[in-house]
Amino acid sequence: MSPLLAGLFVLVCLLALLAIGTPIAFALGFVSIATLIIVDGWDVVSILGETFFGGLASFGLVSIPMFILMGSAVASSNAGKDLYEALDRWLNRVPGGLVLSNLGACSIFAALSGSSPATCAAIGKMGIPEMTARGYPKEIAAGSIAAGGTLGILIPPSITMIVYGIATETSIGRLFLAGILPGLMLTCLFMVWTIYSCHRQGIGLDALGRRYSMAERFQALPRVIPFLLIIVGILYVLYGGVATPSEAAGVGALFCIILVMIIYRMWRVSQMSQIFRDTLKESVMIMMIIGASELFSYTLSVLFVTQSIAEWIASLAVNQWVLMAIVNLFLLVAGFFLPPVAVILMTAPILLPIIIQAGFDPYWFAVVLTINMEIGLITPPVGLNLYVINGIAPDITLSQILRGSLPYVFCMVAGIVLLCIFPGIALWLPNFFMGPAL
Amino acid sequence: MYVRWVDRLSQACGAVSIILIMASVLVVSQMVFVRYILSASTVWQTEFVIYALVAATFLGSPYVLLHKGHVNVDLLIGNARSGPKFYLKLLADLIALAFCALLAWSGWEHFHEAWSGGWTTDTVWALPLWIPLLPLPLGIGILCLQYIAELIKAWEARI
Repeated sequence: MSPLLAGLFVLVCLLALLAIGTPIAFALGFVSIATLIIVDGWDVVSILGETFFGGLASFGLVSIPMFILMGSAVASSNAGKDLYEALDRWLNRVPGGLVLSNLGACSIFAALSGSSPATCAAIGKMGIPEMTARGYPKEIAAGSIAAGGTLGILIPPSITMIVYGIATETSIGRLFLAGILPGLMLTCLFMVWTIYSCHRQGIGLDALGRRYSMAERFQALPRVIPFLLIIVGILYVLYGGVATPSEAAGVGALFCIILVMIIYRMWRVSQMSQIFRDTLKESVMIMMIIGASELFSYTLSVLFVTQSIAEWIASLAVNQWVLMAIVNLFLLVAGFFLPPVAVILMTAPILLPIIIQAGFDPYWFAVVLTINMEIGLITPPVGLNLYVINGIAPDITLSQILRGSLPYVFCMVAGIVLLCIFPGIALWLPNFFMGPAL
Repeated sequence: MYVRWVDRLSQACGAVSIILIMASVLVVSQMVFVRYILSASTVWQTEFVIYALVAATFLGSPYVLLHKGHVNVDLLIGNARSGPKFYLKLLADLIALAFCALLAWSGWEHFHEAWSGGWTTDTVWALPLWIPLLPLPLGIGILCLQYIAELIKAWEARI
């Protein structure tokens, strides 16, 4: 059997297992080991434990549970509410200020939590009722928060970026830097679109809310600033080359836990254990997929699938932008069904050689890939953010949320197009701070 | 009886994993303090953290299964009628169980080799290698037990 055919066969089996609801980690593992047994016989089972263990035992992966812990500490506190209030107090006299504070709060919270659904839940709980109360249409209220929440996986520190870095052996610090400007660009695109569509529906942009005195404005800050300092601190430490991502994440997690204990008085054992239980669930789920995908990419390379696909694509000699469009389409479809981490782990080993061969930058590609995954988060059938919004705002129907989110999908596509025309949006910052990539 | 016993075992494993995660946070922070503030070198911290978190992953996996945390695509079976749905879930669980059983067995072999060969890690700390290797067969073994418990639950729920 030719490698390409074998690869297709493996893929079909994998999709079948996923479709019947096998957990992603075990479906990947089962397909891999079954293929290896068919090719090499039963003896191959003995490498299973070693490969799985070896795939997980690396210091780089330590950052994943640590960042998850940091995020879940912040997400379980009222930090989202305070952040939202602080921004609202400062911006509510600015035209369209409510939109700005909603999306701004999303992008800052996204940085802290590194998780899209958590961002949606934290900001949406405050933001959506506030927007509807001030007469914004439900669609816009829900859609802007759903879209703003997706920024969690793009703005650093981001778990999916770490996973990409590990899967492709690229620098995590550089990936984080590459995500900053595109994250801000998307935030601006979202803001512009939201304000424009409000304007078009004849909604006045002058805030109807109350005035806040300067004293009230400053009052809102002390609870918010420590968390902002943690983000700045982490980014500084990473780019100063002072410490590794894992070290920064560990210390960041410790600080966040101490902060929520002090600021939000979350002393009780039940509150703490909830934070750790959430962390355990999320990190075990991701780590098991990482271990299994290690096995999966090993299997694909034993079958020469990875190499053959890259060669095959090269032999087609298509225009690099046509190739990029196809890759994007593929990622988009994968993102419709699978969570971002799984898509990255399964496709990165196959796609990266193709991408590099076609002359694209792996860091730039990471950003494009992540935006594709963001789209998957607000599109059916498994758009996680849609369901989160549906959960926190029961009076908005799923179809209203969907209609509201759709324009933001186009904003993200526009973002990808902009990145293709101006790759510097992603690459300028890392090159500026860390010198050109090797 | 079996189901209740296994559920408790998984809960206990989850608690151990949480303690390992807490310990890792403290050790990473201590390591950063020693390395960057005291400018001293560290010996065991890096390895400890790596292995503690790997152990937390394996030992935590039955707990995560108990709480339905291993993410899957429930698109098709979410919409299926209850008859076919049961068999699809059964098949999915059996496939997962088969993989986990192979993984646990293979992990056990690996552990056993390290144990009888007296292997250590190739660092200054020279930790006996069987210690970090044990959580794989142990945690995944319990994961298999938990899968069997889930199958029993599904079967009982059907009747």
